[in-house]
Amino acid sequence: MARSRPTESAADGIPVLALRGVTKTYSNGKSALRDVTLSVPEGDFVFLVGPSGAGKSTLIRLLIREELATKGKVMLEGRDLAKLNRREVPQIRRRIGIVFQDFKLLPNKSVRDNVAFALEVTGTPRSRVAPAVDRVLRVVGLAAQADQRPAELSGGEQQRTAIARALVHDPRLFIADEPTGNLDPLISWEIIQLLLRINEMGVTVLMATHNADVVTALRKTVVGLEDGRVVRDETGAAYHRED
Amino acid sequence: MFAFVAFSLKRAWQGFWRNSVMSLAATATMVLMLMLLSGLLILWTGLHSTLDYVQSEVQVVAYLNDSATAQDVAHLTSDLKAMPQVTTVDYVSKDEALRRFKERQPEVAGLVNSLPNNPLPASFEISLRDPGDYIDVATYLRNQGVVESVQDIQKTVSQMIAVINIVSTLGIVVMVIVGLTVLFIIVNTIRLAVVARSEEIEIMRLVGASDAFIRWPFIFEGAFVGLLGALITIGLLLLIQAPLANLLSGFFDVLPVQASAMVGQNVALIVLATGIGIGVVGSYVSVRSYLSR
Repeated sequence: MARSRPTESAADGIPVLALRGVTKTYSNGKSALRDVTLSVPEGDFVFLVGPSGAGKSTLIRLLIREELATKGKVMLEGRDLAKLNRREVPQIRRRIGIVFQDFKLLPNKSVRDNVAFALEVTGTPRSRVAPAVDRVLRVVGLAAQADQRPAELSGGEQQRTAIARALVHDPRLFIADEPTGNLDPLISWEIIQLLLRINEMGVTVLMATHNADVVTALRKTVVGLEDGRVVRDETGAAYHRED
Repeated sequence: MFAFVAFSLKRAWQGFWRNSVMSLAATATMVLMLMLLSGLLILWTGLHSTLDYVQSEVQVVAYLNDSATAQDVAHLTSDLKAMPQVTTVDYVSKDEALRRFKERQPEVAGLVNSLPNNPLPASFEISLRDPGDYIDVATYLRNQGVVESVQDIQKTVSQMIAVINIVSTLGIVVMVIVGLTVLFIIVNTIRLAVVARSEEIEIMRLVGASDAFIRWPFIFEGAFVGLLGALITIGLLLLIQAPLANLLSGFFDVLPVQASAMVGQNVALIVLATGIGIGVVGSYVSVRSYLSR
């Protein structure tokens, strides 16, 4: 994928993603995150692991500014998310591509239209939509299925459609929340391969997962969350702690 | 800007037909409510024009002695005209009264002609700014020497004023209640349509759509529901106008209700404005909860 945008954050050495002493306490008094400090450099591939309820989803919601931290700072490309005004929030979300376990595709739109939707709703000029959609469909290998609807696709193809949609804005950060949770092992590996390719193109990838085989085999950075705290942050690590 | 409006309109149109059952339910509710509203509006307008007519007809009629001289008449005329409660003063001479009588009752004209002299008194017909001033003006006239008598319609007038007040107050109360009910039902119907598309809104937010791009298609959709509802309502009103007018003119036989002008421009404009307005407000309120996060 061609990258035309200058990568200011890389030039300045600012991490794509940085959390400093982040605590998230909900109104019912439950703390989902406690004093989390984390830094993800540009171009890294990070696995976010931990049991259910450890705070992975809360962390992701803070990153896309769906919620705000109760304490501490969440910084994206050096910008404090708490200090964005309403107009800037959509802008920052275009710098992040995100996919979920349940794909979140529109069932009555074709693959092409699902991807184009992301551009149309952000006011992209019509003339630039079709070329951009074709480009990302080639990247995810769905050019041949462009006119099919989600119901006619396999689970893996649906997730690749979601990935194409997340890529179409040329994001700096790609977040995958349990992207293989609904897929069988073989298809899961195809999705992981795709995420690795996206990472090779210079996009920072953060993937929350329970898939121990994948994490252990790839030996990337592993951030472990337990009970809202970071319990490990290791490079080249396995799914389970090896000490 | 043009692309944005085109996008919003296209999405609104698609949204309307994608959830066609829900959209048609919203439109039907709108039609029902607008019919109720226009029914009230027509009744209100009809009653008002009737009341206006009756009010304009409230006149003080004072009959004069035959001894009143031209000077007396001129004096009283200028005095009456100087009163702030009075709008017009018409002097009806004895001859004029006789001419009017013959005109009204041509069959007895011969009989009147056979009389030795004109038995009809001269009179003043005085129109009032406000029927409530009747007593003041009548009392003033009774105290004038040249006035023989003043027609006593005091009771009728005060009853009329009471009716006018009750109808006005009741009308406003009913209008407000109906208006609020309409808004509540429409907001909830549109909210159902918005909830049905919450996944789409979530995706729009995730891919970085601005609030305007999320909100305006829904607002246009609401406006479209309102417009369609208003047009159907106006069509129905035109359809039932003729039979309804017949019924009403039979019912209000004694009163000159302008039934033919019922579904006038005003009602059509109010129905259009209310329909579109409620559609827009309903959509705005419904979609706002998704954007406030």
